[in-house]
Amino acid sequence: MSNLFIMTLPHLGEGVDAADVSEVLVSTGDTIKKDDPIVVLESEKASMEIPTDVGGIIKEVYVNQGTPIIAGDKIISVIVDQKSQDEPSGKTVQKTKTPTTGKNVNQTEPNTVVSAQQPQKDNFRTSPSVRKLARELNINLSNINGTGKKGRITREDLIDEIKRRMTTTPLPIKEEIDFSKWGSVEHKPLSKINKITGKRMETAWQTIPQVTQFDKVDITALDKYRQKINENIESKKITFLPFLIKASVQTLKKFPNFNSSLSLDKSTLIHKNYYHISIAINTPGGLVVPVVKDAEKKDIVSLSEELRDVSERARQKKLKPDEFQGGTFTLSSLGGVGGTYFSPIVNPPQVAILGVSRAQWEPVFVKLENDFNPRYILPISLTYDHRVIDGEEAVLFTQHLGNILAEISCFDLSQ
Amino acid sequence: MTETLQTDVVVIGAGPGGYTAAFRAADLGKKVILIDKDKSLGGVCLNRGCIPSKALLHLSKTIDDVKEAQKKGVYFGEPEIKLKEILKWKDSMVSGLSDGISQLAKSRKVKTLTGHARFFSEKELEIKTEDKIFKLSFNDAIIATGSVSVNIPVLPNNSCRIMGSKQALELKSIPEKLLVVGGGYIGLEMGSVYNSLGSRVSVVEMLPNLLVGVDQDMVKPLQRKLNKQFENIYLETELISGEETDAGIQVKMKNNGGEFSETYDGVLVSVGRKPNTDTLGLKNAGIKKSAQGFLEVNKFQQTSTKTIYAIGDTAGEPMLAHKAAYEGVVAAEHTAGLPSQFDARAIPAVVFTNPEIAWVGLTETEAQEKSIAYNKGEFPWAASGKAAVLGFREGKTKILFNPKTKQVLGAGIVGPGAGDLISEAVLAIEMGADADDLGQTIHPHPTLSETMSNAAEVFLETVTDIFIPKRKRNE
Repeated sequence: MSNLFIMTLPHLGEGVDAADVSEVLVSTGDTIKKDDPIVVLESEKASMEIPTDVGGIIKEVYVNQGTPIIAGDKIISVIVDQKSQDEPSGKTVQKTKTPTTGKNVNQTEPNTVVSAQQPQKDNFRTSPSVRKLARELNINLSNINGTGKKGRITREDLIDEIKRRMTTTPLPIKEEIDFSKWGSVEHKPLSKINKITGKRMETAWQTIPQVTQFDKVDITALDKYRQKINENIESKKITFLPFLIKASVQTLKKFPNFNSSLSLDKSTLIHKNYYHISIAINTPGGLVVPVVKDAEKKDIVSLSEELRDVSERARQKKLKPDEFQGGTFTLSSLGGVGGTYFSPIVNPPQVAILGVSRAQWEPVFVKLENDFNPRYILPISLTYDHRVIDGEEAVLFTQHLGNILAEISCFDLSQ
Repeated sequence: MTETLQTDVVVIGAGPGGYTAAFRAADLGKKVILIDKDKSLGGVCLNRGCIPSKALLHLSKTIDDVKEAQKKGVYFGEPEIKLKEILKWKDSMVSGLSDGISQLAKSRKVKTLTGHARFFSEKELEIKTEDKIFKLSFNDAIIATGSVSVNIPVLPNNSCRIMGSKQALELKSIPEKLLVVGGGYIGLEMGSVYNSLGSRVSVVEMLPNLLVGVDQDMVKPLQRKLNKQFENIYLETELISGEETDAGIQVKMKNNGGEFSETYDGVLVSVGRKPNTDTLGLKNAGIKKSAQGFLEVNKFQQTSTKTIYAIGDTAGEPMLAHKAAYEGVVAAEHTAGLPSQFDARAIPAVVFTNPEIAWVGLTETEAQEKSIAYNKGEFPWAASGKAAVLGFREGKTKILFNPKTKQVLGAGIVGPGAGDLISEAVLAIEMGADADDLGQTIHPHPTLSETMSNAAEVFLETVTDIFIPKRKRNE
């Protein structure tokens, strides 16, 4: 028994509307098993492999590298091999129905693929009343991204556009500079992650008034303690990061403003009673920021293991979209590289980010002993959203964090 | 005696486009003068077109329905046609509607003049009424003079046996044998009327199809019915000459089979209409015409002279009253400084025969000509309970969709009430609605409107009212 199954793209998760096909792992005629990866997608948030729902022989591949794709688009058709389909699997089969009927025109031409964000010109999903309002407000609808169902442009979108225009001053028109006038150049296209990160950074920088508080933390005792633990561990030694996560969580509990978000209308501060710590990780593809969920419930060893697993999968682009969501506070460590202080940028909708640099031995003058003492000093940089946190609170935050890290006895290591 | 007048807005022509423009401008605070050559306002549409023809078509349909009822066990006997009474009813209805328009003008303080208008310049008009000549200076003028029937030179032009649509609606007599020249919508509508009133009707059309431009699958159910009702439908046949004899009009025609001649008691000419702008003195106002004789307008309905607007039949195809009224609003609002423009995505069209044919937006014919990608959902009325009740199961509802976004691109309906049913598709196109929007909207049962959601469901492959075999689905 065999029949034709058309595999379409399942929904990728909340907030992910479109992705590009970055790699096609199969071709026509290939025999595949259920759950074999067939394409790799690069979305705004992550790269991910899409597994096939069924096993069999591939009849047709509908996508190419670079094809933009949205949920419901066809990926491959498979002549289903009943045996392989009946094989047990832990994954639930996502049955998405193909949205188009028999007569399919222009199926594989990538430039005719229309995503939800880019409605065909002249055929936007708008009502005549919205088009009338757009004329009254002098708004070109082709420049508006509709927020309604399937990208419908609503009345609210036009009002938001007017508000946006009133709050932003037009940027001077920039011309592309021809740098080759002064010497040879090379054009290196940015990765999707680079571009997305850039856009997010730009928005964060332009919309959040942010201040960075620097401080020094004495981690001599902590370092000693860490080394002692690591003596008993063969491989996978524990870094400072799990300790920094634990100390941050304890500090956040005392200063809940740092574990919050500002409501959209800027009238309410939303304190979160959970501690999901975002970790900035540099990968060959660019900066990714996965989330360690419920950090307050995890001990040092399990945090260490989780961090190792997450960084490894981040480098392999195997993180799932939900692993990027829900962070409440970000840690960015450049300790492995060097430097002293830097000013990280707040990762909205969070309101604070902690940057840590490389710890160094410094001579510290101890008054009691009337002498210099070698101490292991960690430079930290806390950037915060000044709309919701004031300067004094930030100093108290870094001091409290410093105290926890300095006094190993302050550490609640089990929890 | 010449009298001088001054106004903000002058509208020339009081058809559905003109009076709409005049009333809208008045409601926006403009001083408005509305000119028409007839005392009876409403233009061709109300006086000699849409409305009286629909009145007669309504009777024609009633006669058909009575015959249909006989198949269901209700017998009325042969209808008795009293032409004078029909005319009286039709004329009183038309004058009632026309009086209504005069009343609406009066309540808005729109001044109406009966006479002919001619431009002096881009700011001045001369109006000749029965007893006076007015010199009118205006800020803005809106040309809404409509269209006139095209004549055929090979026919004698002074015979009372030869009718245009205007004379045909006057119902002077019912010719025993009638030839309709032109297989367009006016010809088929009036042919149907005369057929119901007792004429033996033939149609002659130069092109290979009736209703050229309309998808032929929509025309077919009508053509099948007309084949039974009409004496002859000559396609790809040319009218060579016509001469008045004692017996009637002797007509010579030619087609693949060669030349032949027939004698008819009456000939109805409906080969098209052309914009009615020849006597307006357009040159004096510097207004340009297109090659087809239409006035060239921008999206605000302004002609090449910015103070003068053109709407309706004078401003281009399709020559339809509802398009004229829409354009009238655009022009009036633009004179008042509102940011209006021609922004309609689709204009519906209806042939009011029995069955009616209605369509909007993209047709399959156009899609194939222009290689536009589409998928269609087609629902045969054979599966509609309401169609079975009405006794017309040959009807069909067809919707064309964008294959990617599933949005409605166009629709065609053939069957009783198609003209009323099409509005849902027009709204769908204006709203950018897709197959899911139509399919998931609850339609009342049992009605013909259900065939709209059914057609969407056929496209979505979720339809339950008909069965589509699996193999065909995976095609």
